[in-house]
Amino acid sequence: MHYVIIGGGIAGTTAAEELRKLDPSSEITIVSEEQHPIYSRVLLPHYIKGKIPRERVFLKKENWYREQNIDWMPGVLAVHLDTKNKFVTLSNGREIEYDKLLIATGGEPRMLFENSHNISYLRSLGDADNFLELLNSCENNCNGEVFGSGFIACEYINLFAHFNIPTRVSLRGEFFWSKILEREPSEFVNQHLKKNGITLRKNVSFSDSFVEEELKNKSSIFGIGIGIETDFSWLKESGIEIKFGIQANEFLETNIPNVYTAGDVAEFYDVIVGRHIRAGNWMSAMTQGRVVAQNMFGNKTVFELVSSYATNILGLEVIFIGDVSKEASDEVRLFGSIKEGGITQLVGRKGRLVGAILLNRNSDRQIITDMIKNKVLLPELVEGNKKSGNN
Amino acid sequence: MKLRIKVDPDLCIGAASCVTVSPETFQLNEENKAVVLDHSQEPNGRTYERWIEVNEDEKENIFLAAQSCPTLAVFIFDEEGVQLFPEV
Repeated sequence: MHYVIIGGGIAGTTAAEELRKLDPSSEITIVSEEQHPIYSRVLLPHYIKGKIPRERVFLKKENWYREQNIDWMPGVLAVHLDTKNKFVTLSNGREIEYDKLLIATGGEPRMLFENSHNISYLRSLGDADNFLELLNSCENNCNGEVFGSGFIACEYINLFAHFNIPTRVSLRGEFFWSKILEREPSEFVNQHLKKNGITLRKNVSFSDSFVEEELKNKSSIFGIGIGIETDFSWLKESGIEIKFGIQANEFLETNIPNVYTAGDVAEFYDVIVGRHIRAGNWMSAMTQGRVVAQNMFGNKTVFELVSSYATNILGLEVIFIGDVSKEASDEVRLFGSIKEGGITQLVGRKGRLVGAILLNRNSDRQIITDMIKNKVLLPELVEGNKKSGNN
Repeated sequence: MKLRIKVDPDLCIGAASCVTVSPETFQLNEENKAVVLDHSQEPNGRTYERWIEVNEDEKENIFLAAQSCPTLAVFIFDEEGVQLFPEV
């Protein structure tokens, strides 16, 4: 049995580790665009801030792949997939046959059209090294410019603050997570940022001419967090169904036999929230890696997880739980307020609680996670709150 | 056997993967940091560090939880004080 895994991130590597435990005599190959052994992208801000040395970001050493008898191919991309004859063509010209294939290629940051030495992305270890070089070269005399209004933008705000660099954030709309948050929680985030000395520039188009003009300011470091995109071009002739991500069922199987998917690239059927979603976070990717390995081995296992993502922007705790899409919801309710110093936004669909966003309301996290998992109805939730006297 | 489990709150970002894998050993506190439980109990109150008596299955599960942490904020030591995870 030859398991081929495209993608050496946390989903792909966890799957390989699990497959090795399940099937000690099998052949396992990991094709990884990265040159390095797997490392934690989540640790990159800690590394930049000097909280940990560079070597601590690595989760496995190079010899781990040998010890596990995994054929690790770093610095290589998959360029074509033939699902009829079951082989993958690689960027080094090689063709490898598979019995079972896992696509776990993740996502890439959306890049600006323009290029300049003072642009920073925060996706890879190389990006983190580059950011440190930019900091060193600006000699305590630079400005932080953040483009974007999501989690990566938050990381840049925290990093610039850590190094006492004055920061301005350019938003495409008026608020952070504008497609997700209601008006009051949106205002809450903006007010918090302003209170902490962050300048906000709203309704920015990020057009080529805008970017070109901005980049003339050589004393600024530009932290870019304008979204994630995925390259599906190598799958064009594969017959694999792709929408926002690679379509998969609850077993992380694609529509093509013996081809599976996991991690940020997968748009899987979530049995808890009852629709296909992409869950671009560590917890989900790692758990999917474990589950998909079971399925590739032949142990039918449903992927079932209420995942969450947490960050802290200059002291404001932000937690996303479950399916937070406002577009896919039909009901949104708010608890708490700016005045009270914390807001929880509940997201419902067809009468059920499917997701939540917590701003400075950490103590709601476990109970809401359990409620989503237990498929609690929204009216029941309100009754429960009335009884317990919460608001 | 006994293990010493320690969470570094400075590294912990509240990803909650340890809580998902081993809820009887980890829970998030008000600050969104993981604290260590002793078989779902908190004798002597909330703490980031604790000795726990575990069997082989429980040990494996705690290792899995520590491995799942994206910031490697969970440290595991044996009775002699040797750091078992993350490997040094």
